[in-house]
Amino acid sequence: MTMEFQPRTQELEKGYFTLFPGLCKGCGLCIEKCPKKSLGWSDVLGVYGTPSVRANSDCIACGICRDVCPDCAIHIEKKVKH
Amino acid sequence: MPQSWRADTKPHKFCPGCGHGLVLKCLGQAIDELGIQGKTVFGCDIGCSLLSWDFFNLDSVQTHHGRTTPVVTGIKRARPELICIAYMGDGGGYSIGVQHLISAAARDEKITAILANNTQYAMTGGQMAPTTMPGQKTETTPYGRDPETTGFPLHGQEMVASVSREEAYVARGSIANLRQLKSFIKKALENQMKEIGFSFVEALSACPTNWRTNAAETWDFIEEKMPVYFKVGETRKNE
Repeated sequence: MTMEFQPRTQELEKGYFTLFPGLCKGCGLCIEKCPKKSLGWSDVLGVYGTPSVRANSDCIACGICRDVCPDCAIHIEKKVKH
Repeated sequence: MPQSWRADTKPHKFCPGCGHGLVLKCLGQAIDELGIQGKTVFGCDIGCSLLSWDFFNLDSVQTHHGRTTPVVTGIKRARPELICIAYMGDGGGYSIGVQHLISAAARDEKITAILANNTQYAMTGGQMAPTTMPGQKTETTPYGRDPETTGFPLHGQEMVASVSREEAYVARGSIANLRQLKSFIKKALENQMKEIGFSFVEALSACPTNWRTNAAETWDFIEEKMPVYFKVGETRKNE
């Protein structure tokens, strides 16, 4: 059985915040760890029918949420400065 | 997602916010960085840790309660070229399987044992374990653990360190500091790859389901309350 995970990407000022709702269980560990308090609950439901997370424009693409996610549901890509 | 994770079994079976996912993420990243995915054997215990039986793209074996250390020791003795990892929880490693863990450390078997400590028996509903903190409420201690009648938390990592040989690697990490935990696991695997000696890493882990905590209280428990009894660091290392 192969599962497809649909990514949802938000383009922000400092980078790209990608969330896989098919992996997010809505534990909220990333929301507490965000140094800018830029993460919040989203209208999109995760795998267990709980709200998944979304970022707002305060995000600095530090990647702490990606590191603390036990399900690897978050991917962060920093924008390269030209 | 680490390369060594098996993507078709994800999302994994652990509860939301479970610390096992973070410990196994560090283990997967360490396996990727060392490039040992093809020759690694992963043994998991009974308890919540058995839910990792299809977690990795590795040869995996699931054993009886507390018996993952001797099974993995047998695999290592039969095929010394393999990298053998025993993964267990504190219920399996520190109570019912403590004799196997201590004996393997005393014999200096060339295996790596990784133990996730979440201070209770999580799979059976959150009963008191040897590692439960004083005052912590569990199913069997509804008024909080009383050290007068049930004693103080077991310092399992120090116990393993005291019986192990000089060349062993014994450390305790925490999921509050994932980079440090990953470096500990990596050093433990390198200790086995160089055939130096026994290596053991305890990881302080979380169980929001049975602690009945929200995300903020979970981080507070791991970062503030658990290090009071369980000191994070390397107790025994081979310089």
